Amino acid sequence: MARDLVRRLWSWEGLLLILLLVTLAYNVTRVTNFLTVSNQINLFQLGIEKAIVILAMAFVIISGEIDLSVASMMGLSAGVAAALFESGAPMPVAILVALGVGAGFGLLNGYFVAVVGLSSLAVTLAGYVGFRGLARLLVQDRSVGGFPDWFTNLGQRGMVGPLTLSIFIFAILAIVATVTLHFSGFGRLTYVIGNSAAVARFSGVSVARTKMVIFTISGLVSALAGVLMAARLGAVRASTAEGFELDIITVVLLGGVSIFGGVGSMIGVLLSTYLVLNLRNGLVIAGITGNTQTGIIGLLLILSVLLPNLAGRVRERLRRRQSDPSMRAPPADLSETARSQTAPG
Amino acid sequence: MIARIFEDEEEDHVNLKTRHVLSGVMCAGLLAATMGTATLAQTPVGGTPVSGDAVSATPGQDVKLMLLPKFLGILPFDQANQGAEEAATELENPTAFDFVGPTAENSVAGQIEFMTNAPAGGYDVVMLSNNSGDQIVPSAEAAQEAGTRVVTWDSPIPDGSGESVFVAQVDFTETGTVMADMALSILGEDGGQFAILSASPDAANQNAWIAAMEDALADPMYANLELLEIVYGDDQSEKSYEQAQALISKHPDMELIMAPTSVGIVSAAKALQDEGLCEEIKVSGLGVPAEMLEYTQNGCAPEFALWSFVDLGYLTYYVSYLLATGAIEGAEGERFVAGRLGEYEITQDPTRPDVEALRVLMGPFTIYNIDNVEEAAG
Amino acid sequence: MTDTILRRVRPEQFREVILLIVTVGLLGFFASQIPNYFDPRSVNRLTTGLAIPLVVAVGQVLVVITRNIDLSVSSIVGLSAYMVGTLLTRTDGLSPLAALAVAMSIGLVLGAINGLIVAYGGVPAVIATLGTLALYRVVLVEFSGARTVTTADLPDWLNDVPSATVVAAGGYDLRLMVGIALVVVILGQLTLRYLPFGRRLYAIGSNPEAARIAGLPAKRDVFTAFVICGTLSGLAGFMFLVRFGNITVTAAQGLELQVVAAVVVGGVNIFGGSGSMIGALLGVLLIETLQQSLLRWAGVSEFVKDAILGLLILIAVTADTIILSRLREMWVRVRRRDKAQAQERAQVVATGEGEMVHGA
Repeated sequence: MARDLVRRLWSWEGLLLILLLVTLAYNVTRVTNFLTVSNQINLFQLGIEKAIVILAMAFVIISGEIDLSVASMMGLSAGVAAALFESGAPMPVAILVALGVGAGFGLLNGYFVAVVGLSSLAVTLAGYVGFRGLARLLVQDRSVGGFPDWFTNLGQRGMVGPLTLSIFIFAILAIVATVTLHFSGFGRLTYVIGNSAAVARFSGVSVARTKMVIFTISGLVSALAGVLMAARLGAVRASTAEGFELDIITVVLLGGVSIFGGVGSMIGVLLSTYLVLNLRNGLVIAGITGNTQTGIIGLLLILSVLLPNLAGRVRERLRRRQSDPSMRAPPADLSETARSQTAPG
Repeated sequence: MIARIFEDEEEDHVNLKTRHVLSGVMCAGLLAATMGTATLAQTPVGGTPVSGDAVSATPGQDVKLMLLPKFLGILPFDQANQGAEEAATELENPTAFDFVGPTAENSVAGQIEFMTNAPAGGYDVVMLSNNSGDQIVPSAEAAQEAGTRVVTWDSPIPDGSGESVFVAQVDFTETGTVMADMALSILGEDGGQFAILSASPDAANQNAWIAAMEDALADPMYANLELLEIVYGDDQSEKSYEQAQALISKHPDMELIMAPTSVGIVSAAKALQDEGLCEEIKVSGLGVPAEMLEYTQNGCAPEFALWSFVDLGYLTYYVSYLLATGAIEGAEGERFVAGRLGEYEITQDPTRPDVEALRVLMGPFTIYNIDNVEEAAG
Repeated sequence: MTDTILRRVRPEQFREVILLIVTVGLLGFFASQIPNYFDPRSVNRLTTGLAIPLVVAVGQVLVVITRNIDLSVSSIVGLSAYMVGTLLTRTDGLSPLAALAVAMSIGLVLGAINGLIVAYGGVPAVIATLGTLALYRVVLVEFSGARTVTTADLPDWLNDVPSATVVAAGGYDLRLMVGIALVVVILGQLTLRYLPFGRRLYAIGSNPEAARIAGLPAKRDVFTAFVICGTLSGLAGFMFLVRFGNITVTAAQGLELQVVAAVVVGGVNIFGGSGSMIGALLGVLLIETLQQSLLRWAGVSEFVKDAILGLLILIAVTADTIILSRLREMWVRVRRRDKAQAQERAQVVATGEGEMVHGA
């Protein structure tokens, strides 16, 4: 029982949980009002759009691909919504078109990756440059605002109590993503493809269709996040969400998803999301500069893999030294004494 | 070649400052004799002599302030920090203020993050050089509601929402005229073609200054100046350098690059120097003397302008301290004394006429050239 | 005709030729749109811009071939440029070679840190170098104290380097920096082709497990690849200092994506095991030409350029892949036909022989 617990804690999720608890403990002692509802809402609100895209990015990376265009897509969808609204379209229509643009370009990404067979890095890099360029084309050097109150309220005011729409959307999507990834055929397919696309293809699985669906969802979800961000900030500029892609990928990787695909869990990703949100919040309130924050998260990223690796290696070495003599001792009943006799120290 | 410092005829509606650059006039010789060097020009006595009704700060009160520049790591913001430190020492505030900022590539989201968390951090005032345009408004308004005042400096919140007062380095409308004048002074009466190398397309300051310059150019006085195009170097030296090179390739008759950004102006000057084109094409704009020294001396950038960021940080700290301690409310018509800079008044911001916005105007511009740049560079 | 060519070379070897064709096509297009496109000064500006990404790309190729990636290169370039710049402002009479050596040593150390974490720490390269990308930049910001390195403080010889020329013909210069970059490319290609170390990198990249079982020093080789990549980034940092003179804390930010893009466009497989320096050279050429030419294209507004750049990258990559797969089909067809013919012939010969045997 106890050993079971230890083993579970030794897993990636366990490690993240420990890190999270340490961070929480640190923040609670250092920052007054840290655990207040309003601060916890704040902390979620500030990273909510990233958190939403992270869910989709987990699928992309587990399937063995990458999507560098997500942040540019957020900017583009916000730009589309803003430009349409500015030219007189009703806000709901503008939002729908923005979401459509996201899904459409996501599908296009998927088409070039899955059907044409280009590397997703190259395709989405083109999207990274191109979508941002389209946003720039739509919004130019302006800042488009003056949205209807109901729209900005969605992003800024609580729907139920202090909880905003974005937080609800994130919560729902998080559940959907977890169920889909771990309990559905589609989720299993995602893992299989990520483990080896070639094997999946030979076993009659439609790799192309699955990948296209994943990229379409990635585009759609990024577009949704872009619109939500427009609502939260109340204004749209061409640079909206610039540079978010690396943060998003960082959190997914920290969540234990392998960059080579096929490995990772949604629980890990959610834990690492909450961990990074807390960490940033604590550091900001403690008056730590942005550069140091980024550095700390970078260090965390490296150490979270490096330390377990090193510890694992030490354990491995210890275990080998302990188990070697017992292997040489044939009688089972003697092995126990043999081991205790030759045990080091 | 002289430092052009002029009296401001429009003093009545703007501020109480005695010295103020107003460009447009070409009779600089007079004052140059009295002003002489940039150092003198750089440390203005500021406001008028202290009159009876101006509020003075009571030193030693404990308030928590945050100085939030666009991002960390470039000289102007560091100078502002020095100025704020100086004021903090003078005012004997037991709580040291926090000089924090986001990374350059995360500037917008990072500023919003700091602003949103400021009330939780217990700050009385956030001193903000806004890089987030209107996008900072919801968080700034929330901060104000939660009791944290927002004093902007260097770059305001465009529509004034969520902002207590803006400490303006110079009059933004005037920036346009100053740039147009420098262009005319460099190109001569017969004028010529020039291009603008800006920071990023949504940098609010630069956009305001460029718009002001375009307005100024409508004046028949500048009829011979032809603006070719505006390009953006994103405040990265490599991108600005390449943009400058591209301008040279694109416009064979271009005679001037105007860069209203401290990163852009040095990069453009370096590009011209490397091409050996400093005779044919000049650079001007807004630059830090210490960084521009070489280019002014070798003729690539004969003339450029700036204000003192040290003074700006100093004044901003004073305004914020007075607000935080309740000595001033942040209302139109209030007058206060800002240490060595003298007396100031809070007025409506005439450069943002369409919105409710308050301003404290610092000034003045200093025009740097071969005569004063070395001394200013230190 | 095509058949004869296809009999001799594999389509993968065409990859570089295809890229070259795409690039030449682009150059032709821009030449028709931009006046004086091929005039010596413009060409010199464009080629000089190639030097820095090229040097970084060579290091990146070595790393990518081993199925790793180095995203920290831009921070290494920025950090070494800044540190050497500061050193030169503070120390009088530091010789050019010494400054260069310092820059490369800084790169070497930073690359070694990456290599240690990845090869010996077992941390995936993306994670490790995403981390050091941030960390090295933090070191730069902390170290700089918000001071900008400016040309005014730098020794004169440094300011003369950008226009230093190795060979000149009719106004077209081969600048020293471009010359150095080309030498680096050639050395890189020779390493990959002829040195055992280079051959091993391919083996490690195509199947790390097999390489380990076969007893290749995989860890050491991956470590070495990172060290070389870091050292070359240090060299690029020196070139960055020389070229731009004014170094702020954001120096070279974003270069990592540009280089990775160039390497991928150049046909280096991001999952390791294949790719060449010539491909990377062409990838850099293609991406840089696109970027620089768009800046000079008067026909389009400043705001459309990035959208066009994205589209062009996509077109270039797609064209490359489609042409390559067509060629592969043709190659397979020719091979198959040849094989069939050979079999026929063999049968004929065999029957002939049989008859002969029979006759004997």
